[in-house]
Amino acid sequence: MRISRRILATAATAAVLLPLSACGSGSGDSSSSDSSGKVQGDISFQTWNLRANFKSYFEGLIADFEKKYPGTHVKWIDQPAEGYADKISADAAAGTLPDVVNVSPDLAAPLAKAGLALDLDKDKAAAKYKSEYLPGAWAGNEIPGLPGTYAFPWYLNTGPLFYNKALFKEAGLNADQPPKTYAALFTDALQIAHKTDGKVATLANVPTIEDFGRYGVELMNKQGTAFAFNDAKGVELLTKYKQLFDAKALDPQALTATPESSGQKFLTGAVAMNPGSALDLHNFKTQAPTLYKNIGITDQITNTGHVNMYVMGLLVNSRSKEKPAAVAFAHFITDAQNQMSFAKKVAIFPSTAGSLEDPYFTKEDGTDETRVRVAAAKSLKTAVNYTPVLFSDQMKTALRNEVAKALQGKESPKAALDNAVKACNQLLQQG
Amino acid sequence: MAGSTAPSGSRVRRQLPTSPWLFAAPGFLVTGVFVLYPFLSTVVDAFTDRRTLIPGRFVGLANFRELLHDDMFWIGLRNSTLYVLGVVPALVVLPLLLALLVQKNIPGIAFFRSAFYTPVVASIVVVGLIWVWLLDERGLVNSLLETLGAGPVGFLSDQWLLLVSAMAVTVWKGLGYYMIIYLAALANVPRELHEAAAVDGAGAVRRFLTVTVPAVRSTMVLVAALSSVAAFKVFSEVYLMAGPSGGPAGEDTTLVMLVQRTGTGLTGRVGYASAISLVVFAVTVVLMLLVLRADRKDEA
Repeated sequence: MRISRRILATAATAAVLLPLSACGSGSGDSSSSDSSGKVQGDISFQTWNLRANFKSYFEGLIADFEKKYPGTHVKWIDQPAEGYADKISADAAAGTLPDVVNVSPDLAAPLAKAGLALDLDKDKAAAKYKSEYLPGAWAGNEIPGLPGTYAFPWYLNTGPLFYNKALFKEAGLNADQPPKTYAALFTDALQIAHKTDGKVATLANVPTIEDFGRYGVELMNKQGTAFAFNDAKGVELLTKYKQLFDAKALDPQALTATPESSGQKFLTGAVAMNPGSALDLHNFKTQAPTLYKNIGITDQITNTGHVNMYVMGLLVNSRSKEKPAAVAFAHFITDAQNQMSFAKKVAIFPSTAGSLEDPYFTKEDGTDETRVRVAAAKSLKTAVNYTPVLFSDQMKTALRNEVAKALQGKESPKAALDNAVKACNQLLQQG
Repeated sequence: MAGSTAPSGSRVRRQLPTSPWLFAAPGFLVTGVFVLYPFLSTVVDAFTDRRTLIPGRFVGLANFRELLHDDMFWIGLRNSTLYVLGVVPALVVLPLLLALLVQKNIPGIAFFRSAFYTPVVASIVVVGLIWVWLLDERGLVNSLLETLGAGPVGFLSDQWLLLVSAMAVTVWKGLGYYMIIYLAALANVPRELHEAAAVDGAGAVRRFLTVTVPAVRSTMVLVAALSSVAAFKVFSEVYLMAGPSGGPAGEDTTLVMLVQRTGTGLTGRVGYASAISLVVFAVTVVLMLLVLRADRKDEA
């Protein structure tokens, strides 16, 4: 059998044209759906770096669900924190997105735009659960420009600001009166840098979009169609950070720091303050006992009266073959009882209505852990997720790079923020 | 009986065109699926506005026009080019000197050969972390410098020092690999040439320049070609040392880092990243051609 030139030419043409087949329409279906059918079948459930510490908890939860709904089987997949968004995007692009996926609102947004997330408001089975959650938490998974809600609210998290009392004392500051406002923070930071001859910085990270939000900067316009953090308040914040950077009150390596590296600097006493959560107390106790003896805990610094919170959700794949089971499972994991039991295993906070009134979140027993938990639960009632839902990774990089230019003196704070807003708006328009 | 089972001449002729294709089929399949298809897909995507989850539309040369006005692209091109200029000469010369050192068969030399080769087999992530710890503002190198009275040096916070540090790590990690290639080449240099040169009164340096270098010239070209392509496509070292943002203000970003940053994630601009990939491909092809052309000129 000879392979003719015609066959070879056809194969070559197909190889060239095949990739073009990816270029078609693929928007999601926005019509209402009903997942109230029989709960049965096999579904997959993906969590975000939870297996290592909570394996038995989730296995128990899955067993309870399978017992409650005979005929169902849940396959649990856990992905590491590193590259989580990349893993989801690879699955989504390949059509292998799990039926129920652990997401934050900024991860839910592109999936919803691509029509891969079930609109819970439009789905008859899912919409009836809305009243079980805190209104703000349910609204946390709304996507600007898209009607609907695209993930069940799961746990909320916020955290205090830790500080090293010993370093505060060395700099002649009152360690029992940590800064509460940005103005006090900047003054104390400059004093610590001055007294330690620049050897101890107070902060280890450049300002992020959440910092601009806490400072009181309007992040987006009223319509939510364009970014606006280059206003006078934004410029003021960046100007203050520049002063800190010049005085070494902001760590010189802050321009390339990650949350992990800045946490490490706090552990070693190179940095005086660092944000964290109640989970960190355990780390301090085991990894840095000297620091633990001197640890101070204070509230997040905010000019708005509202602290920042992180919101986790469970998205239901709109193309799931077992949608009733997927919706039922996502609700099961996030219902009041199961969120409460999860909260008691780890320092997170439930998003279900009334759960934060539980004595577990309102009564102190004298330990630091309880103090942090009660204070955080209290602040959560008015907390805000300052990260705009449409603020993508590319936008975060654009802001970070422009902030770095301002801190290095290569651009004025105003010019840097103007450039960042321009770049972010351009990315926003590109969709 | 043998004659009756042997295929006739005409049957052999009929089978010849098919059997090579069958033997080559697995190779074609693997190459087609894992090399050709992704490459062609990248070429097609470069002319679309495709995003990770949103299929693209044909946009012609728009991505390439945008590249011309993208500061980050020029920064990436500059850094990747500087990387080639900084790393390639070192990787052509230093492994050769190292190979000369460990070429001799003296007791214990196997230990040094293995030691020099260790960085090659070490995970790049581990290597990156070790060097970050060493070069950190409070790391070992800066502690030593401070002991000597010099202030802390911003190896990881200064734009240029960071790039040079990453180059040093690339050279350090690549030395052993190219040393092995040179060792093989040196083993083929006739000993008589060295002896003749020595009889003529040539010293060690003279013998190196007039005997060793000409004898391993083609290997040097090979090393230059391999290392220049690898250097232009550098990612891991810079990513690990400069962080995901590509150093302060992204000033240490290389082209491949830019491809990764632009084209991945849920909001990745696959079309635009593909356009950058094509530029990387074109430049590496040109680099290879330049090196090979220089080699041919030398031979002529």
